[in-house]
Amino acid sequence: MILRTRGTLAATGLLVATGMLLAGCGSGAASDGSDGYTVYALLPQGNDQPYGTTYLPPMQEAAAKAGIKLTITNSQYDADKQASECEVAVAARPDLIILWPAVADTVRPCLEAAKAADIPVTVTNSDVIPADKSLIKAYSGPDTYGQGAASAEIMCELADGKPTGILMVNGLTGNTTAINRRQGFLDTIQKNCPNVTVLAEQPGNWNKDTSQTVTSEMLTSVGAAKVQGIYAADDTMVAGAIDALKAQGIDPKPLLITSIGNTKLGNPLIKSGELDGTIFQSSSWDGQNAVVVAEKVLKGESVDENLFMPSVKVTAANADSPEVAPEW
Amino acid sequence: MNSTPTLSLGPATTDRSARLRAALARRTEWRGLALLAVVVVATLSFEPLVFTAYPVTLGRVALIGLVALGLTAVILMGELDLSVASTLAVAGVVMASIPNVALGIVVALCAGLLIGLVNAFFVVKVGINSFIATLGMLFVLRGLAFVLSGEKPVRMADIEAGIAFGAPIIGPITPRVLIFVLVFIGLQIFVTKVRAGREFYAVGGNRQAARDAGIPVSRRLVTGFMLSGFVAALAGVINTMERTAADPTAGSTVLLASIAAAIIGGVALTGGRGSIVGTLVGALSLGIIEVGLTLSGVQVDVQQIFIGGVLLLAVITDPASFRAVVGNARSFLSGRRGETPA
Amino acid sequence: MKRGTRPSGAQTLQWVSERGIFFFTAALVAFAALFIDNFVSIVNITDVFHRAAPIGIVAVGMTFVVISGNYLDLSVVAQVATAAVVLIAVSNSAGLGLAVLAALAIALLYGVVNGVAVGYLRANAVIVTLSTTFVGLGILRWLSGGSIFFGPPDGPIRALGQVKVVGLPLSALVLVVMTAALAFLLGRTNFGFLIRSFGSNRTATRLAGVDTSRVVVGAFLITSLSAMVAGFVLAAFSNTAVSTMAQGFDFGALAAIIIGGTSVFGGKGSVLRTLLGVIFVSVLTNILVLSKIGFGWQQMAIGALIVLAVSVDTLARKAARR
Repeated sequence: MILRTRGTLAATGLLVATGMLLAGCGSGAASDGSDGYTVYALLPQGNDQPYGTTYLPPMQEAAAKAGIKLTITNSQYDADKQASECEVAVAARPDLIILWPAVADTVRPCLEAAKAADIPVTVTNSDVIPADKSLIKAYSGPDTYGQGAASAEIMCELADGKPTGILMVNGLTGNTTAINRRQGFLDTIQKNCPNVTVLAEQPGNWNKDTSQTVTSEMLTSVGAAKVQGIYAADDTMVAGAIDALKAQGIDPKPLLITSIGNTKLGNPLIKSGELDGTIFQSSSWDGQNAVVVAEKVLKGESVDENLFMPSVKVTAANADSPEVAPEW
Repeated sequence: MNSTPTLSLGPATTDRSARLRAALARRTEWRGLALLAVVVVATLSFEPLVFTAYPVTLGRVALIGLVALGLTAVILMGELDLSVASTLAVAGVVMASIPNVALGIVVALCAGLLIGLVNAFFVVKVGINSFIATLGMLFVLRGLAFVLSGEKPVRMADIEAGIAFGAPIIGPITPRVLIFVLVFIGLQIFVTKVRAGREFYAVGGNRQAARDAGIPVSRRLVTGFMLSGFVAALAGVINTMERTAADPTAGSTVLLASIAAAIIGGVALTGGRGSIVGTLVGALSLGIIEVGLTLSGVQVDVQQIFIGGVLLLAVITDPASFRAVVGNARSFLSGRRGETPA
Repeated sequence: MKRGTRPSGAQTLQWVSERGIFFFTAALVAFAALFIDNFVSIVNITDVFHRAAPIGIVAVGMTFVVISGNYLDLSVVAQVATAAVVLIAVSNSAGLGLAVLAALAIALLYGVVNGVAVGYLRANAVIVTLSTTFVGLGILRWLSGGSIFFGPPDGPIRALGQVKVVGLPLSALVLVVMTAALAFLLGRTNFGFLIRSFGSNRTATRLAGVDTSRVVVGAFLITSLSAMVAGFVLAAFSNTAVSTMAQGFDFGALAAIIIGGTSVFGGKGSVLRTLLGVIFVSVLTNILVLSKIGFGWQQMAIGALIVLAVSVDTLARKAARR
């Protein structure tokens, strides 16, 4: 029994050791010196999410144009998996790493490892925390906190100083974007319009069906008559919330409703007057500028610390403007 | 779809298939070793960087494998611990919430032991099937991780300690890999050399017989669940140290990856069969595949299709599957069943 | 299941414990009706059914896999999402009829692959369905590109989602009809008898000359068809479909089955119990949301209930045996 176990162990060891040896022999030319740059992009989503699906093509296009060989990973919002992918990326010695943190609080060691290996890092979509800013070259993307704040500004304007009770539908529990948007919204209404109060909040998990059910339940819970408005953290969920209102026989038009996204689902709701305001988030801008910023860093050009995606407020007034044409 | 190659082996001559079956059945790790060999050869030809950058690959293996090692102790006894991933998350949050790092580690590890004890209480004292008891704990502990953390990541007070922990200590080897190796050696010695550990096999093989032979079954079960809880908490502590923060959503892929590593390595979910070495082999195979696919820049959905296919192939090529196919084919040929299949 | 004569006190205890889920559900509904404002209103009952219907339809189907002694079908998450995406995406481009046919073909494929691997090849159900989840979700995301699909606002899928039957959504009726049909299948047919006896004693059933492998394929096929219907219900409810739908349906459905009192050892259980388990969890979650309780506490409550329900059941059974 024990002898056999040793045999198995030896076989395992032999297999792995052979791998290392053989690889060691042929590894002299592992990183070929061909022209162009190699870049690793560590993303937490890709073709598995609607946003990532429209984020990737412009990114790849921009990379092809700039002669960048892009290797993209997708950690599916698992911080441990992304950390491991970061180790892989650092070991591959690319010219640069583009990072979209899965969980912003956890990327410090990855940034330190890249710095130790002399690999510059640029950040896309979700920024690192202020304490880590010195470890990155630049950030491009939306300001997720700012989006929540901008949506709150629309809400404040609509409420016009009158006492307004609203319901809040958040993103997936524990998700960085969900946390930041919620905080941005809450901070802003507290500062700008304390007359707006959140009567109840629940996660809608970025889903239309979940959002519809929890909104309906919150309406029952606080009493539909007391609700004058709804904020949802994205357009998919706000569409569910509006359906919940209609299903209870409540006309959504008089209510103050805001969200974030201006997607193909949200834009028609703006035009029909059911959704009062949303914040345009361009996934293609995001993907493209991730590479544009990276290219500047690679070429040694100077870059701004932050390249924020313009948080364009979309209301009935500009819903048809080509500048805010919905992308997904 | 993957069943065709195996089916063709079915009606082979009894002589050869008997020898094949005997060879396969002698040890439980063959399947895992065969897979590992294929994986090593394939990654060597396509992505040799997996091996030149071996500290990274070992790190990934340790990430997948640590929880699986503890889980194997429970599976060997024919039980299951579905709460490992939630235990990992709770332990991380507990550790990060305590300002003093050393105290945090101790409390988090104790929490893991306590969770194991609670699981064992429901299984041993109350008499609930471990699959259900730990399913309940999966929900309870996940909820607890959210409640304790306020549904947000918790940053460690002493971030420098975390970063220092992530640095290599022996050559390019990080503490994570070292701890993984130590846990592996410890558990391997425990289940092969220590009497209490060897009795795990008896408990999983035939519980009544084990009882009749005077083995304290209940005490062994408690030991197993506490081991599993402790190792899961240890993984939570390591993750939190390395990331400098605890994420309450952590471990989303840990549970199923751990079970997969054990099964690929030949550990039988019915208990009594398998080994710690097998789980190591399973974790090595999965880790190398994942790092190889990541380095090659294969997009994640294709990676999933690939890993799923490998897993399906691994599980349907179990010796028991061969026997089942042979049995089915034989009874089919002898016309015991006349009707057309549904 | 017949049992020998027992002391009457213990007998009563066992009688109660065997019907635990009926009493638990009745008590919870009575509590909610008395103490939670607006719980008894057509709007709120509709919400409870919106929670219960999709996962409930999956759970009543998956009961067959659990009773056959094969733990669970993890791939239901992939199956529900695939059915929903196929229904909306294909009907947008090629019509509703073709969409339903395509979804049906995919459901049959899932059922056959899972069933053959578990039934004929005797592979472990957890790992088989885990691998089909990986492959299935991978293919879905590869082909759909992870996009959100939505049907036209005046399309037939949307219209189905809006249909009401005696004030309740059509999905509630689908849940009830599915439960009735599957309860009949499990309780009154030869196939149902085989599955129950197979789960309780595999070897004996096999020795009796029953093709146990084919019974397992049947159990997985029923689960797959139920998951397809659940996907349709979810798609019709929101008129949208995306590959990330139905997260948590795997262990969520299993939790409902177990709370209902079906044994994971196989053999014991019923479809009606599963329905009650689903209603119990849905009412509980509804009450917690109505009381503005956060997500973390909701999860803890569900977990604690699983352990509590099964503990009471087990302890009562032990007491009755003494």
